[in-house]
Amino acid sequence: MLTVVFLILFPVLAALVLLVVRGEGARKVVSIGSALVIGAGSIVLAVQYLGQGPAFFYISSSYVDMACFAVDVVLMLAVISYGVKYRKWAAVGLAVVAIAMAAYFEFAVAHHAHVAQGLYIDDLSILMALIIGIVGSCICVYALGYMHDFQHHQPEGADDRRPAFFALMFLFLGAMFLIVFANNMAWMFTGWEITTVCSFLLIGYTRTEEAIENSFRQIIMNMLGGLGFCAALIYSGTYLGTLALDEFLSMGSVAGAAVAIPVTCLAFAGITKAAQMPFHTWLLGAMVAPTPTSALLHSSTMVKAGVFLLVKLAPVFAVCAVPAAMVMLVGCLTFLLCSLMAISQSNAKRVLAYSTIANLGLITACAGVGTPEAVWAAAFLILFHAIAKSLLFLCVGTAEHHIGSRDIEDMDLLFDRMPRLARYMMLGIMCMFIAPFGMLVAKWATLVSFAEADLVLLLVILAFGSAATFMFWAKWMGKLAGIAGQPENVEATVHKSEWSAMGLMALLIVACCMLMSVISACVVEPYIATVFGTFDEAISDWNVLISAILSVIVVAILFAGLGRGKAKKAGIYLAGASVDNEGRVFLGAMNKPQPATSRNWYMDSWFGEARLTKPGKVLCALVIVVALAAALMFPVGF
Amino acid sequence: MISILIGTIAFAILAPVVGCLLSGFDRVVSARMQGRVGPPILQPYYDVRKLLEKEHASVNAAEGVYVTCALVFAVLAGGIFFGGGNLLMCVFVITLSSLMFIVAAYSTRSPYAEIGAHRETLQVMAYEPMVLLMAIAFFMATGSFDVNAVLGLDAPIITTAWLAFLGLLYILTIKLRKSPFDLSMSHHAHQEIVRGITTEMSGPTLAKVEIMHWYENVLFLGWIGMFFVWGSPISIALTLVVMVLVYLLEILIDNNFARVKWQLMLKSAWVVALLAGGVNIAVLAFL
Repeated sequence: MLTVVFLILFPVLAALVLLVVRGEGARKVVSIGSALVIGAGSIVLAVQYLGQGPAFFYISSSYVDMACFAVDVVLMLAVISYGVKYRKWAAVGLAVVAIAMAAYFEFAVAHHAHVAQGLYIDDLSILMALIIGIVGSCICVYALGYMHDFQHHQPEGADDRRPAFFALMFLFLGAMFLIVFANNMAWMFTGWEITTVCSFLLIGYTRTEEAIENSFRQIIMNMLGGLGFCAALIYSGTYLGTLALDEFLSMGSVAGAAVAIPVTCLAFAGITKAAQMPFHTWLLGAMVAPTPTSALLHSSTMVKAGVFLLVKLAPVFAVCAVPAAMVMLVGCLTFLLCSLMAISQSNAKRVLAYSTIANLGLITACAGVGTPEAVWAAAFLILFHAIAKSLLFLCVGTAEHHIGSRDIEDMDLLFDRMPRLARYMMLGIMCMFIAPFGMLVAKWATLVSFAEADLVLLLVILAFGSAATFMFWAKWMGKLAGIAGQPENVEATVHKSEWSAMGLMALLIVACCMLMSVISACVVEPYIATVFGTFDEAISDWNVLISAILSVIVVAILFAGLGRGKAKKAGIYLAGASVDNEGRVFLGAMNKPQPATSRNWYMDSWFGEARLTKPGKVLCALVIVVALAAALMFPVGF
Repeated sequence: MISILIGTIAFAILAPVVGCLLSGFDRVVSARMQGRVGPPILQPYYDVRKLLEKEHASVNAAEGVYVTCALVFAVLAGGIFFGGGNLLMCVFVITLSSLMFIVAAYSTRSPYAEIGAHRETLQVMAYEPMVLLMAIAFFMATGSFDVNAVLGLDAPIITTAWLAFLGLLYILTIKLRKSPFDLSMSHHAHQEIVRGITTEMSGPTLAKVEIMHWYENVLFLGWIGMFFVWGSPISIALTLVVMVLVYLLEILIDNNFARVKWQLMLKSAWVVALLAGGVNIAVLAFL
């Protein structure tokens, strides 16, 4: 239990220290030290508790309850003060409602439902803790070098808000640990709200008009989700007499109808946090923040809190039709539409954002299906997405600082200009979409679980969404792969902290792909066995093993095999007189040198945001409204 | 696992022979359709032998590696299929092979090869939904994703999955890169911009591409064949006849249609996938 409490409180402590440390050297020491401690702590935790089944800790105190309530109120007051400052009255209004609901909950409901076991740990929370502890703290280390360059690019005399930045990053990790370990749902709610407000402040970090605008969009959407969470708490405390997550879940999986309303509310909260349509715009807007923030929000924290909650609720979805249908439909539609829209984007960070939203949609849909096989797939989607996406964000961030652009079209020849970085990026891309890497094996399991449950609509959507996924990743990867002559290598100035973070992520990808069956046997299957009792593997061990072997081969070729050929060098064909083959310059019709240029396909008139965003939002909003109404009107179920 | 190993070895040795003969057969039949005599049936073999003897020249050192990967993964995909392995695994590995081929073209940074690579990417996006839906229809018809499940059936899956079969037939033209869907590279010189995706590939590298196509063609005909196999020896003969007929049909289509625009290819392939694949799996799921 000590490790659990330590993991929740230590990042908060680190955050407080970082808030007062002004010097860059000292910040480096504290950040790296804390990141190492958190990473090591999560590994120690895994060693301590792995394979022992769920453990519940008797920890309850009215002081902690009050402190959580106080934190909720302080957070909302902070939102109110910012809302007044920037005249965002919708945010102020929501925050006032949130305070009122939290107060009602605290003084009228909470004391009816005493939770003796405030914290718990099971194999899913261990998996999440490892992701948060290793991937999350790795991003914090990466941020050191990145933020140094970032501050450098700021105009002269811009005030240095980096202490607050690093404090928020570590606070984020602490809040995430609270979410994954809290059995007392009121405590979980506090962690939930801390992540909401932290990301609000991180998105608005640069305080430009766009950043402020987007940060308020984020807070408004997530506060709506927060109200849903709070409503679920009030309902659960009042009518079910419990605020313990385990009791709530076991009640739900026996009698789904009784928990239909709170589960729908919680699912709604999960959907907002996981940036599903129509709430996906907050995650797109979050791109204005410095890249480490994006990496943190997209990979190991924030959105993963949303899907974590949904996956936790999976056994209830299996018996509770209304929220399950809502979650499945919203998830699948989001997967399809965001995969299609990703084709139309040339901004690398925006492609990553759409891909994140799409993959979260897939995880959401898996949670909604609620069969053991679907949950297995969801767990691996969470794991591989966290690692691969953080690697990709870190690569794009570094590339941006060195080539001065985050546009994929400008990443031409990156294979020559930044050879190591381009290979990391290609590894991350391949891990996201192609066999034999982990993400695809998880998608494969998703497909099998949908097929076994006869979910025809979901299968069709998955087939089309996967095709779109191939398109947007393959063309990006192709752009990176171009080789021509020997352009200047510009990666010598990349910070050591950035290399170490990216190297670790790449290593984690390879290790997790190699050890997928071990992770499955030691972490994921035990969790499913305790929750569902049964488990039929969606993909046989042999196939997982073949994938593992293949992925090692592909990685070896990528890092060691490419460029070793001994062919005679020849120039490219330019159909006619060429002036400079490496620069693709040929003699044009007017007998003038003409460079040949080619851009990738973005197919904006087919898959553009303008065409797909609105129908997606309307459809998903409709699904959510209908589901909420159905849950309220027919709480006993169909 | 052992069966996949044996399957891969057998496929690696036998498929090029079959694929080479198929390719020669294709050229002879095409020639006859056009009123020519055509080359000897072993002409594709002579071509590849000559390519292999040429000097190894390349625009960069990576292209050849990518093409080799594409070839190896194509062999593996075939091995998984004919070894009775998992159909989805086979689909995913052949997609990996396609990706390697695409990246090989991109890596040259030749404008013409890049145009071919863009189009090949688009072709993958066009046929991928139908391929996945075919695999799902296979699962719903046989209760397993393992290809060898067909050997235990009382009736071939064409009886229940004929709609998905028609869908597969449609996208097969894209997969075989035959006109009207030969956007990324065409055998018909009159409708091609230079040479599409293989513009910069020459000598031994181009030979590898040709051999890869032999493997691919055999594998895709295998997909066609799996719809007609059941637990009876007669089915093998039937399957062979069907495969020959389907290939003849593809040659006929190839010689009678001009290349279409990509818009029509993408739209029609997706509509076919939705109707043939979607309806078929819906029927299989609910009946």
